[in-house]
Amino acid sequence: MIYAQGQKIIVGDSDRTVLELLQIRLDTAGYHVCLARNGPAVLELLKQVRPAVMILDAGLAELSAFDILDTLKKRGEKPCPVLLTGRRLAPEDVKRGIGLGVRDCMLKPFSGADVVERVARLLRPPAPPKPASPPPMVKPPPAEFGSAYL
Amino acid sequence: MSAAAAVSEAPLHASMATMLDVLAWEIELAGARCIYLDSMIGKMMKTVPEGQQDLLVEGMHTVDLLAQHLTSLSAFARRMSALTPEDVSASVDIALSDITLGALADRMSVAFGGTERGIYDGEDAGDLDLF
Repeated sequence: MIYAQGQKIIVGDSDRTVLELLQIRLDTAGYHVCLARNGPAVLELLKQVRPAVMILDAGLAELSAFDILDTLKKRGEKPCPVLLTGRRLAPEDVKRGIGLGVRDCMLKPFSGADVVERVARLLRPPAPPKPASPPPMVKPPPAEFGSAYL
Repeated sequence: MSAAAAVSEAPLHASMATMLDVLAWEIELAGARCIYLDSMIGKMMKTVPEGQQDLLVEGMHTVDLLAQHLTSLSAFARRMSALTPEDVSASVDIALSDITLGALADRMSVAFGGTERGIYDGEDAGDLDLF
């Protein structure tokens, strides 16, 4: 089981069922979950909490996920990794989201287990760069009969 | 909202795809609650003497099976929702009125595009710590 040491996650969704599902799933996985039912509440939460990840519904009430990320961008704040969710996500939505800090997308309805897995993936530190490969071994030329190596 | 007001509202229709989506969410939520219960039993296990843990182990096993049962049903409903044409719809009023758990009836009614059914008392009811 994936177990996180209390990292904070903000979940913004207007659907109570989704909020409750994600609260239980992420809480059981060891995250500290903060819930918001609309866009302004997400922005208010961000004044108090520095989340490791945000899970935002594209169609969040009053202020969409894009509006929130746009606001953060205009303020010069670098957002944490964002998992964008939605019933329908058009390619242009995904493209716009990526430009604003979205790192992953999930179509609704999704399974709670998938969300926990995706969040863990977002929090996983990037793999260290591979060390430069050593120069290929050059075989010494076959010794000619009678030659000597020093 | 009074019961009389709820009855006088226009009939609530939903597409089969939406119904399956809503069912998938609710079954998934029930599964998540089982997983939470499973973790609670796991924590209780540490406080029970070793000789008396068999009953809890049996309980954990049952809850785990139930969680798997529900998450599988949820996956089935999700898949069927994706395969069901959007133009097939039915009235959901009578079926909703059969749900005796107020919070559930409210959530489902709202998900179908209706209003809360008036059984569930306020948005602070329940244990969600909303901001």
